[in-house]
Amino acid sequence: MVDSGLITIAKKEFFDHVRSRKFLLIFGIFLVVAIIGMIGGVAEYNDTVKMYNDKQAVTISTSDSAIQTTSYLAKPSILLVFYHMSTPFMMIGVILGIAMGFDLISKERESKSLKVLLAHPVYRDEVINGKALGGIAALLLALGIVFVLSVATLLISGLVPDGTEVLLILIFCAISFLFIFTFFPIALCMSAITEDSGKALIYTLIIYTILVGFIPILMSTPAISESVLGPAPEMPKLVSDQMNQATVADSSSGMSSGASAELIRYQQQVKEYSDRQTAFTQTLSLFSPTGNYQKLTVSLTNPTVASAMYGSAMGEAAGTGDRGVDIPGLLSMLSINILALALIPAIFFGIAYVRFMRMDIR
Amino acid sequence: MIQFDHLSKEYNGIPAVNDLTAVIPSGEIFGLLGPNGAGKSTTILMLIGLIEPSGGRCLIDGVEVAKNPIQVKQHIGYMPEDVGFYPTFSAEENLTYFARLFRMEPREYRKRIPDLISLVGLDGVTKQVGGYSKGMRQRLGLANALLNNPSVIILDEPTANLDPQGVADYRRIISGVAQEGKTVLVSSHILSEISRVSTSIGLLSRGQLIAQGKWEELSRQLQGQDTSWVTIVLETQDPMPELSHPDLISASYTDDRRTATLVARSDIRDAVADECQAAHVRVHGLKSEGTSLEDLFLSYYQKAG
Repeated sequence: MVDSGLITIAKKEFFDHVRSRKFLLIFGIFLVVAIIGMIGGVAEYNDTVKMYNDKQAVTISTSDSAIQTTSYLAKPSILLVFYHMSTPFMMIGVILGIAMGFDLISKERESKSLKVLLAHPVYRDEVINGKALGGIAALLLALGIVFVLSVATLLISGLVPDGTEVLLILIFCAISFLFIFTFFPIALCMSAITEDSGKALIYTLIIYTILVGFIPILMSTPAISESVLGPAPEMPKLVSDQMNQATVADSSSGMSSGASAELIRYQQQVKEYSDRQTAFTQTLSLFSPTGNYQKLTVSLTNPTVASAMYGSAMGEAAGTGDRGVDIPGLLSMLSINILALALIPAIFFGIAYVRFMRMDIR
Repeated sequence: MIQFDHLSKEYNGIPAVNDLTAVIPSGEIFGLLGPNGAGKSTTILMLIGLIEPSGGRCLIDGVEVAKNPIQVKQHIGYMPEDVGFYPTFSAEENLTYFARLFRMEPREYRKRIPDLISLVGLDGVTKQVGGYSKGMRQRLGLANALLNNPSVIILDEPTANLDPQGVADYRRIISGVAQEGKTVLVSSHILSEISRVSTSIGLLSRGQLIAQGKWEELSRQLQGQDTSWVTIVLETQDPMPELSHPDLISASYTDDRRTATLVARSDIRDAVADECQAAHVRVHGLKSEGTSLEDLFLSYYQKAG
């Protein structure tokens, strides 16, 4: 049977990737770092389990009040092991995605093979889609191997995940893939836009720096949110004067009725401003793939940290409570982050697609 | 058959190809001549559908390229000027990949590829294409252009990097495919090369086709025109004097000054013979070499401004 142009190109690109020294080297490092992270995760999981069991023992042997204390420590999940893998994914996985994409089109232009390729009976969209498919397949293979070895490490360590944990591991895999895949279309886009591979790599790294470094800085800079939301509400002079005079701990006590009303209004304004600031920060964080990935992986793998970082509702859904993990509820709360994570590669792939389709090959 | 129908292309308002109309019948080897920047490559890129025309159209075997690029590409073979392949693949792997893009059956390309590799003189070369010389890449480019047994073959500066043996092989192959009734379009600025292989030529200047026809026809057209140039070879028994004539453009003498090659605007053989006689130099031979392709080329360009 004769393959279509798309499949022929995708196959060639896939084998090009998996046979390239660049891919093998980065993948090798990725694998080693992931397994080291996994081993560290297994050790921490065992410690947490021991701590949890110790607390449980205390609970059983003491009064009812102890139950209240232990409820703050969620039953450890095997997913905790994967929590330790998210850092290598964020570091090496990104490099892998960039390395696979930055010269996909520019290299063809440099080696003059693009003109020869496009002189054959193949549509341009087959070329760019084939390149993307080949890259996706190679990334999937790399991640698949990492996850198979990770699960093998788990099993060798005597940790057998239950049904819910298997499902969460699979979701973690899918999200990790989505994250690493984010940088592949960015690199592909730069490869289509720029004249040579060197420039494509530099521009990709600039975008990476903006998405990963610059956006979090913007988020944490009060001047930025103030420039968008306006200045933070100032405490009324009447309230501040009376607060300065007050010697008691409760600032509202001893205030005049007018000052108390002003204080209540001020507190409400502060709360509204704070809510708007949180909404602004959260919206901005959606543009940061690392921010999204961190939120997603933390929520999936570490309910205690999720509760501390993203609120008790997120922690509840992630499994801090007695009811265990509420997967549909968790995914519903995280859907905006998943969507944002998927949107960034889609935008860049769209740009690459349009650019490549309209490109004059000279 | 190739047809250009009022074909035009502009880059940022500057015309690269301007209202090009021509027909190249089947079985013809058409030489597209022009200096650098004349619009040869742009014309070819529009012909293979890599550049969209700003106006007009081009057709291959009656099918409009811009409307049916895939159908057209099934029937053309193309070799660009600076042909490139996948450097980590061998010649066979590169051709196999392209054969798959032509949707050729494995049974078919497994037989055809070794034959083509042998035809272009690359048999026995197993190394990756990244280690090829430019000439070897050009040989592989020719094999690739013939891969799908096309009815139209388009070659952009095909001999630019070939050694003499490669050029001879190329001429033999191209003559062979033209005899099979295929149309060949060869673009070059190497005039001697075009004159050796092409059956008809087109002269392109600033994106316009300023002359087109059989080489003999164009040569005849020029005879008797003020702008025609004639090459004369003069041989004398004694060293000859410095020749002078208003129509003489250039004269090059051998060291012993017994042979001279003269380029003149008209046939000045009689005047040269008289001048030699006046200088008491006996003329041994005096013949006109007619109008060379270079002369023709320059003459047309002189007219075109």
